[in-house]
Amino acid sequence: MLNLFNIFAILLIVSSTVVVLSKHPIFSLLALVTSFLLASFILFLIECEFLAFLFIIIYVGAIAILFLFAIMMLDYKSTDLSRNTIKYLPIAVIFGLGFLSILLYEVNSNFEKYPSDSFYINIYQNWYDLIDSTTDVEVYGQVLYSYFVLQLLITGLILLMVLIGVVYLTNTYSVKPSNSEQVAFKQLARESKFFFKN
Amino acid sequence: MRDKLINSVVYLDSFTLFPEYFLGLSGIYILIVITLITYNVYGLMLQKAISESLGLMLFMASYLLINDDIINVGFSNFNGSILNDSLAYYSKLIVCISSAFYFLIISNFLKYYRLTSFEYLLITLFAIIGLILLCGSNDLLTAYLAIELFSLASYLLASFKKTSTYSIDSGLKYFVTGALSSAFFLLGSSFLYGQLGSINFDVIKLLTDTKYSDKFPLDWVDWPPKDNPEWFNIALRHILWYLFSHFTMFSSSLVDLGLALILFSLFIKLGIAPFHLWSLDVYEGSPTSATFFFAVITKLSIFVLIIRLCYHTLPTFRESWIFYSLILSVISIFVGSFGGLQTRKLKTLFAYSSTSHMGYALLAFTSSIGAKFAVEIIFFYLVIYIIAGLATWFIILSLILKTKKFPNKFNKELGDLASLHKANPGLAVAFATTMFSIAGMPPLIGFLAKLGVFLSIVSSGQELNYYEPIIRRYLTSYNHEYYFVAVITILCSVVSTFYYIRIVKILFFENTLVGKLYHPINNQKVLILSFLVFLLIFLFINPTLLYLIIYKMAWGIRVVHVLF
Repeated sequence: MLNLFNIFAILLIVSSTVVVLSKHPIFSLLALVTSFLLASFILFLIECEFLAFLFIIIYVGAIAILFLFAIMMLDYKSTDLSRNTIKYLPIAVIFGLGFLSILLYEVNSNFEKYPSDSFYINIYQNWYDLIDSTTDVEVYGQVLYSYFVLQLLITGLILLMVLIGVVYLTNTYSVKPSNSEQVAFKQLARESKFFFKN
Repeated sequence: MRDKLINSVVYLDSFTLFPEYFLGLSGIYILIVITLITYNVYGLMLQKAISESLGLMLFMASYLLINDDIINVGFSNFNGSILNDSLAYYSKLIVCISSAFYFLIISNFLKYYRLTSFEYLLITLFAIIGLILLCGSNDLLTAYLAIELFSLASYLLASFKKTSTYSIDSGLKYFVTGALSSAFFLLGSSFLYGQLGSINFDVIKLLTDTKYSDKFPLDWVDWPPKDNPEWFNIALRHILWYLFSHFTMFSSSLVDLGLALILFSLFIKLGIAPFHLWSLDVYEGSPTSATFFFAVITKLSIFVLIIRLCYHTLPTFRESWIFYSLILSVISIFVGSFGGLQTRKLKTLFAYSSTSHMGYALLAFTSSIGAKFAVEIIFFYLVIYIIAGLATWFIILSLILKTKKFPNKFNKELGDLASLHKANPGLAVAFATTMFSIAGMPPLIGFLAKLGVFLSIVSSGQELNYYEPIIRRYLTSYNHEYYFVAVITILCSVVSTFYYIRIVKILFFENTLVGKLYHPINNQKVLILSFLVFLLIFLFINPTLLYLIIYKMAWGIRVVHVLF
């Protein structure tokens, strides 16, 4: 019962509860990152490597960091939200139970517990996977670099072009430093007659 | 065996993208050389040299296109995502040559308009690569990526002047509208992919072929009999037709929806009338050479994609795409003709003018059902639009005021053109000739272009009766509407001549004693301008070359060998 999948699933539930319940946004963001990581572990376990990498790269690498920047920029003051929580609790429970029941019903009706007893689809050991298998990432790589090589190149051109444009638009070439600007090195050097004697 | 190999592996002799490859590599080369070496030495003096060298590179790319001997044959490679037919070939050639002229034209004015950084030209080059790729693209993914390449570049070009609020504003507007249009395109392609299971145009064509889906299913046993006018027989036929038409592998209404979404996104990019509102602000706000690029160079490739998608790929759904494009073309001709009447700003005026011209091209596209030469007429119109646009925007760019102090305002109004014929008579005569050509006056090529559009729309109503019977079943009710549409658009064209002729009136006959003094333009530019104006006159006398090119372009989409 206590295999890796269950451990990760329990941890995922715990961390996603922490996301909702924690008062400080930084903590809930950290819990969000943890839950993304745990979800990607689970995806690794069921051999969806590409999706797992996407989770880590996009959600953890880009979106969570973006959230972090936004929170730091906004200078959020933590306030007591517990009163609101109690006020909205009954409605939240009703909606949550409703959605949960629908979700459980759909999962139960659409997925089987033990898919098949046959030799080919075996949850313990799938021999065909061991004999001839390419991983998810490998397949994507092969398809991208053979069938979609042109599209890959165009995407590269788009990224290069956007990079050039963004660097140009955000970069402000500074004009000459004005007189009011303080240059510490010059001031120090003016004092010492030892170095600059002309 | 060989055919299979072409689809899966890139062979050097079937590598038909040498011009694009060359342009992309040269862009990257310019980037590396300038950032690492040249920029530290020469600083800001580079823009004229880079612009002219980019023009030469585009001429080189068109040389590569002409010398490629298999690019014209009509086969698809890169796993079916690039189609090499004569439509792609000639449209790529036209885009290359017109953008080479664009670079040669703007090279002198970059310093005056304060666009001295080399990134401007580099981004324009990437946009042109996107346009060239769009001409040859044969599936939705490649088309989307090419559209993104040139539209992202266009947003950057529109907002390139960081110090001007108008430029940033227009860039943001363009970005928001373009993002909406891209979202529409993706949604429509997802509908097409969901229903048909392929993004390749050839596969979609095979799956939705008229041969299999458009015939009455029981005609081969002649039951129920076709000519029996009994009500029971007719009702049975209708019911059977209804049942069988829903027995296809895909839901044709969802394909229809996908096609409509893709078409609307492309119409947003073109600035067709209900979606044209971005173009007024963007054309006015962005730098003049960027406006030049949006208004002149970008239109042809999008039309190539529309023709690929509708005429070549989904001719089964011609009823719906003709319906959309007929309505939108009439609206856009109307809006373009009447909207330009009250505006005093020169660039907004030409934005309205561009809207109405796109409407005329779309009108020719609409008539492609009945008139056999309609596709030819679209490209005829667009090529002449490009030539006239190059001349017009060249003249607008070269109206540089002769003042001591450096100007802050670059946009022109109609009043600024007053008595140009005294300050610079050659420029005024060229401007007047171009305006007469765009308005459609007889001794110039614009007349033949408009004549062709109206001829195709009229003959589309006429020839419908003895064209294909399958089409007649759908379109018998459109017959009179075509004449109606022709009358309305001819009247709108008469209205739109007003503002072109008004420019001529302001140039020559304005009653002002004091006019603005303009810089003369140098010899090289005079050569280009006189070549363009000469084309406008010469092609009217001898349009055979143009007719040959457009005939070959339109011939390309009819003869396509599918290698699968």
